[in-house]
Amino acid sequence: MIGLVTAPQTGLDFDALMRRHQSLVFSLAYHFLHDREVAEEVAQEVFLSLHRNLRNIQSPEHALFWLRKVTVQRAIDEGRRRARRPQVALEGVAEPAAQIQPQDPMLRETLRRLIATLAEAPRAVMILRYQEDLDPAEIAEILGMPVATVKSHLQRSLALLREKFARRSMGEA
Amino acid sequence: MDWLEQELKNALERKAPSPDFAERVRRRTRGDGFRTALWPQRWLAAAAALLVLAGAGMGYRQYQGNQARQQVMLAFRIAGAKVNHIQAQVKERMR
Repeated sequence: MIGLVTAPQTGLDFDALMRRHQSLVFSLAYHFLHDREVAEEVAQEVFLSLHRNLRNIQSPEHALFWLRKVTVQRAIDEGRRRARRPQVALEGVAEPAAQIQPQDPMLRETLRRLIATLAEAPRAVMILRYQEDLDPAEIAEILGMPVATVKSHLQRSLALLREKFARRSMGEA
Repeated sequence: MDWLEQELKNALERKAPSPDFAERVRRRTRGDGFRTALWPQRWLAAAAALLVLAGAGMGYRQYQGNQARQQVMLAFRIAGAKVNHIQAQVKERMR
């Protein structure tokens, strides 16, 4: 039984970690790659890697940090390898087809699609900010980039999204 | 947090993977464990193969050394025989 696989020093249980964090890992990969099947494959690889590295994980907090970091790295690698979705700058993405109101169910899918078209770094920043609810300092630590760069990516991406929706609203008026 | 950030949170909320996700990972970790368990055996086999190759190499070099020594000895014997032959002819003519 895999549930018996534990790190000897910390007592961390692999099965428990997987149960607790499978949605986190899958969702990070899914929001990054916008492909459910590929995201599941990436998530599986992340947990296999955790299984192999369990003895190096020192605490549940370390496991959480490790999973976020490795998932983003794997998702970036997978995105590059597949090159399935040519990177398009957010500025180049078509505006929403109709005026979108908050609470519109189409809005969420539109937002996910727009996020998936961002370049790697701002995409990772936005996903960690709004999926994981992390602050810029935590995101900076995971992605290994300065806090100022994280804030810049956040501000720029939000401004572009706002501009896109505002332009559309003005067009409808 | 304005409406856009709230909608981003909603759009990017966590989703569950397929129901058999954990089981598929478990199956793969069992295979992984099997492969991990085979690592020491593989290392031993590789080390044994290296030892055999190294031994064979040394043996071959020894064989080559013996061959060379025998050839040198043969050359000395031939040269010695020639010298003896020449010495015998010189002695005969001097008589």
